[in-house]
Amino acid sequence: MTRRTWRFVFFGLAILAGFAAGLGYGWGINPVRYSSTSPDSLRVDYQADLVLMIAELYQAEGDLALALARLDFLGDAPPVETVNRAIDYGETHGYALADLARMRNLAADIHLALGGIN
Amino acid sequence: MLNDTQEIRTDYAPPQKRSPLYLVTGVILGLILGLVYAWVINPVVYENTAPDSLGDVQKDFYRSTIAQVYAVTGDLQRASLRLALLTDPDPVFALGSQAQRALAEGQDAEARALALLASALQSSTLFPEPETELPPPQPTATDTPEGVPTHTLPVPTTAP
Repeated sequence: MTRRTWRFVFFGLAILAGFAAGLGYGWGINPVRYSSTSPDSLRVDYQADLVLMIAELYQAEGDLALALARLDFLGDAPPVETVNRAIDYGETHGYALADLARMRNLAADIHLALGGIN
Repeated sequence: MLNDTQEIRTDYAPPQKRSPLYLVTGVILGLILGLVYAWVINPVVYENTAPDSLGDVQKDFYRSTIAQVYAVTGDLQRASLRLALLTDPDPVFALGSQAQRALAEGQDAEARALALLASALQSSTLFPEPETELPPPQPTATDTPEGVPTHTLPVPTTAP
């Protein structure tokens, strides 16, 4: 290969080396940090606890619209799905029966109210 | 017709003393591309986050929900455990200031719940006092909201 070709090869290798260093720094050493994550990125146990809180409030207030508005905080997923996910988590992680009953009651009422919508 | 032009080859080659600056340029170019890819195009996506990483608005919602549940159930231990997830430096202060904001926005029930929880926590030992001593509060000209329970200590009076 001619000298000119070698120069191109080395230039390409240098770009690759820089790219790798950039990825290492950007992903490993100093990744983008979100100080304001969205609630739908919360770990499932935190989400389940939040659903439980909403179910507790629903039991006391009986306001389904308010409960749905609160569930909306947890993301765009259909509310029944969100509550059912929390119930599943609660069942597998030993939630108290009273807490599970509150969440089931909320899920049933949402299902009844929204029917086929969600 | 003959073509008289001929290519003349000489053995002379000028000395090429080019600096390896082009390599540095390549590395810098690659570094920029790598950072753009890692930070903008395909950044690290956080999943399974904790409540303390939420934004301020979301934290307010979380705190308010905890307070309203406490107002309904009266379970202070559960409320304090939930509140601890937000890792506020001073949870009582955070609740109090949010109560003020809620009151200013006309959300009396929410403000009352927040103040109630703040008051309950202040009089309990579930949350330790913040390590740093805060300066004594200066009286301000703002109106004291009605309906929000405040933690007023009785002023000792001297007998005449």
